[in-house]
Amino acid sequence: MTEYQNQLKLQSHLDGELSEAEASEVVSLLARDPEAVALLAELRQTSEALVGFEDGIRLPESRDFFWSKIQREIEGQHSPAPERTSPVPWSARLRRLLMPATGFAVVALLALVVTRETGSGPAQSSVETSLADSGALVYHDFSARATFVWLAYPADDEFSEEDEGAGFE
Amino acid sequence: MTELDHSSAEDPALVRAAQSGEMAAFEELVARHRDKIYARAYSMMRNEEQALDLSQEAWVKGWQRLAQFQGESSFGTWMTRIVINLCLDQLRKHKRQRTESIEEMSEESGGVERQMPVVTPNPTAGLERGELRQRIDRALGQLSHEHRTVLVLHEFEELEYKEIAKVMGCSIGTVMSRLFYARRKMAGLLSDLKKENWK
Repeated sequence: MTEYQNQLKLQSHLDGELSEAEASEVVSLLARDPEAVALLAELRQTSEALVGFEDGIRLPESRDFFWSKIQREIEGQHSPAPERTSPVPWSARLRRLLMPATGFAVVALLALVVTRETGSGPAQSSVETSLADSGALVYHDFSARATFVWLAYPADDEFSEEDEGAGFE
Repeated sequence: MTELDHSSAEDPALVRAAQSGEMAAFEELVARHRDKIYARAYSMMRNEEQALDLSQEAWVKGWQRLAQFQGESSFGTWMTRIVINLCLDQLRKHKRQRTESIEEMSEESGGVERQMPVVTPNPTAGLERGELRQRIDRALGQLSHEHRTVLVLHEFEELEYKEIAKVMGCSIGTVMSRLFYARRKMAGLLSDLKKENWK
């Protein structure tokens, strides 16, 4: 049997994918190897048998019915849609619930550590929630002149649709 | 301005009308190309219900993206690319859910197609178009998604190896070996189906 690389070259020759130099190599192979000739003929026959295959396939629904489904879908998307149409996964919902609680815990722990280390009272640090943004916690450490802000909500793109992968651009 | 006669208008005129929001023009485009778009989805998915859903989804996407269509290719080709992308996405989701088939493993581990005897004479010679179509339909159904997709993109969409590699997110070498396997397997299956008919 013709070796695999030559088999692939025969196929590339059939598909017009070879350079001129490679194509002439294949022509010499065909001149000395009857198996290569037979294989090329088989590949060509298979390719030719497929010509026009899809022409016989018809949509199994009437024009009006098929269009009515498309139209309904298009018109449905013109009406005001909810901000997020894709369902939020349960793991993201759980994370959304846990994030504020974790934030409180981290800030409380920080406050405790700082208070113990400085041995001072509440005037050295404070924890606030912002009225303007209920998802944000602000921790001030006055002695260290540091401010930490904890945002409990996800980033805007956290629930973006899954990548569609490769394909036509 | 005269009103466009949809049934006699050329595709580009219908596209322009649809781009300006005329849904009746888009309906005419759907009517003209729906069989081709469905056929491509069916060739790739081998499932009537999925092919219907995906071709419908392709048309909805086509409407939504109509403003992006600049006419570099024909409208039919543009729509076909949309449905192919949807099918590929669907097949990738399937692949993540299923385990590797024995067929795929045998291909990766040595390739039975390399040792298969050459099929002679031509098993499709002298067949009527309808009978040939039926046999091809059955044989295509026995290929794995990966092999069928490469075959469809090459034989029906007439893409070059490098284009198929880009679309499928694999190397040109993988495209070549999958296409070779698919063709050899098809030849064997068509030959088997012929023998079955003789029995």
